[in-house]
Amino acid sequence: MTRKFTRRELGALVGTGIALGPRALHGAAPAVGAGGTVGVAPLAAPAGGGALDPTAARAALERALVAATGKPTAARAVSALFSPSDTVGIKLNCLGGPISPRRELVEALAALLREAGIPGQRIVVFERASRELARVRYPIRKNGGDYLCHGVDNDYDAEPSTSGQIGSCFARLVSTTCTALVGFGVVKDHDLAGVSASLKNWYGVIHNPNKYHDNHCDPFVADVVNHPFVRGKLRLTVLDGVNAQCHGGPGYRPDAVWPLGLVVASTDPVAADAWAWRAIDAERVRRGMPTLEAAGRAPRFVATAARYGLGVGDPAAIREARG
Amino acid sequence: MSGGPTRRELALLAAAGAATALARGAHGARTPPLGAAVDPDDLPAREASWYRRLAEGRVECQLCPRGCQVADAERGACGVRENRRGTYVTLVHGVACTLHADPIEKKPFFHVMPGSTALSWAAAGCNVECKFCQNWEISQFRPEQVPARWLPPAELAAAARRANAPLLAATYSEPVVFWEYVRDTALAARRIGLRTVVVSNGYIQEAPLKEVLPLLAAVKVDLKAFREPFYRDFVRGELKPVLRSLETIRASGTWLEIVVLLLPTLNDSEEEVRDLALWVKTNLGADVPVHFTRFHPTYRLTNLPPTPLSSLERAWRVAQAEGLRYVYLGNVPGHPGENTVCPDCGATLIHRVGFTVRAAALEDGRCPSCRRAIPGVWS
Repeated sequence: MTRKFTRRELGALVGTGIALGPRALHGAAPAVGAGGTVGVAPLAAPAGGGALDPTAARAALERALVAATGKPTAARAVSALFSPSDTVGIKLNCLGGPISPRRELVEALAALLREAGIPGQRIVVFERASRELARVRYPIRKNGGDYLCHGVDNDYDAEPSTSGQIGSCFARLVSTTCTALVGFGVVKDHDLAGVSASLKNWYGVIHNPNKYHDNHCDPFVADVVNHPFVRGKLRLTVLDGVNAQCHGGPGYRPDAVWPLGLVVASTDPVAADAWAWRAIDAERVRRGMPTLEAAGRAPRFVATAARYGLGVGDPAAIREARG
Repeated sequence: MSGGPTRRELALLAAAGAATALARGAHGARTPPLGAAVDPDDLPAREASWYRRLAEGRVECQLCPRGCQVADAERGACGVRENRRGTYVTLVHGVACTLHADPIEKKPFFHVMPGSTALSWAAAGCNVECKFCQNWEISQFRPEQVPARWLPPAELAAAARRANAPLLAATYSEPVVFWEYVRDTALAARRIGLRTVVVSNGYIQEAPLKEVLPLLAAVKVDLKAFREPFYRDFVRGELKPVLRSLETIRASGTWLEIVVLLLPTLNDSEEEVRDLALWVKTNLGADVPVHFTRFHPTYRLTNLPPTPLSSLERAWRVAQAEGLRYVYLGNVPGHPGENTVCPDCGATLIHRVGFTVRAAALEDGRCPSCRRAIPGVWS
């Protein structure tokens, strides 16, 4: 599985994404930022580990949002992306245990949403299972608090829904409850998919992701995100890049973790993955490891997602905006 | 989604015993009390029997032909086997999501102890994804997504005896993905004089199949079609390994029956049925029963009508014309294609309506009229 991209794939990576950008994603929501733009802001891990300073986490997230959207403030960025009437689902990726989105960053985003007029009862931080959230010390609650926080916990649609080659029951949180979605992932290598950052995170909203790991998850990852339940609601992608993992994912592999020191935000979920791919490859090269392409597991679903018009997929075409 | 256990299931589970010993498995999960609901957050884990370790903590499953290579914290395509730091574990050993006392004809086995009860069980999961799966609510979900009860092999076998079932049947989902559970249950059943049969897609590697076959009284294989593109597009599997399994089963001496679900326009052409029948006759022999059954729209294939009777009857005629001696029709209650007929004298030996045996005339496995031996497991 080490073939080069075809001319058509390269064309799709660059052309389709730029032409449509994230606008196609938003449906009725206003388009914010430019397709292919990824906002990044520095945020170092605390010396000796432990929790982030909440103030520093919030400041970094705000800078990343401003850089990603071009809005003057994070509050304006959030208000442009979400309506006070929205019910916002924030999908985390906690499979990697220690390499999971940090609670301080997620809570900073929840606070920004509340300040934009969305009550905590309509902000749902979720994962596949409550146990996955609890394992990394998120507070499980279905009522009260500044935000709700729980797993899908087998609450799927009763019938499967088809998108491209996938046929799955979607989490009712995504199909029914939420009107807007945020992907909140990490920057991580994936043994089969290549990269698990933005798009791959959405495997957690279908009942049967284990069926779709052939061919490096291509086109299946793109098919999941291209389903109207996700595509029509996905407004923002945030990646906790304080620490990242360049090898051995999706499980936690401490010797492959490095301090990337960044918070990443984008309204273009494909660009976020292309950016993560570039970051992982850079670290692999620095360590004398083969790139993902050379290792035979380039994340081809990124090109497929770009071809679907979900965003910009060419790492070379990504504009990194520093906040 | 499948609902909770029925009253009959609960009674069977209660009969399985009320012992409440708690044990801690080798991989951290606790085993719950017998018959108790399994905690989806704490599935009992047991090391798988067929895999090998690879570099960097990865494993390669050696159970089914997919040969999934699985990284730490990930699962194979079946969704029931997980890599836990380089050890591959099954999450469905002793975890029964379905338990019913069925007539053996429902499997269907038509040449295995007609009219007998088979205590039939399943665990969640499957190694393929048929777009027309009739049991997708259990086969296409992971074990933590399907309500299940803790029913380890010895207790399952004991439950069959208490239910006066001479047979246990691993069925409903895909027994290949709970193959260790099948093996250990068959062993436990044998110890108390019961027999075990399996209803499978036949998509399994040769070594695990050969290892367990001697413990089984019979295997029914769902041959989904006789064309590779169909397997690729509608099953997400492969035909060739299934054909190899059929040959392996037949060569082993374990009784074999084949079911072909006919889907209108997709696998019911005269040419395909003829090719299939010819292959069965040539490679397995004319005595292997072949059942052509009627499809009903379900799961991801709801755009097709039920199989027309004319299509079923055409397959019936074609397969017989190719020389197969025991060709049956399924899901058409009352049709003469449900009956077992002596291939020599034409006498009706077993008269069935649906899953019910109305009359059985076999004498010591022979036609009472012409004394021809009829192959099968009759007692």
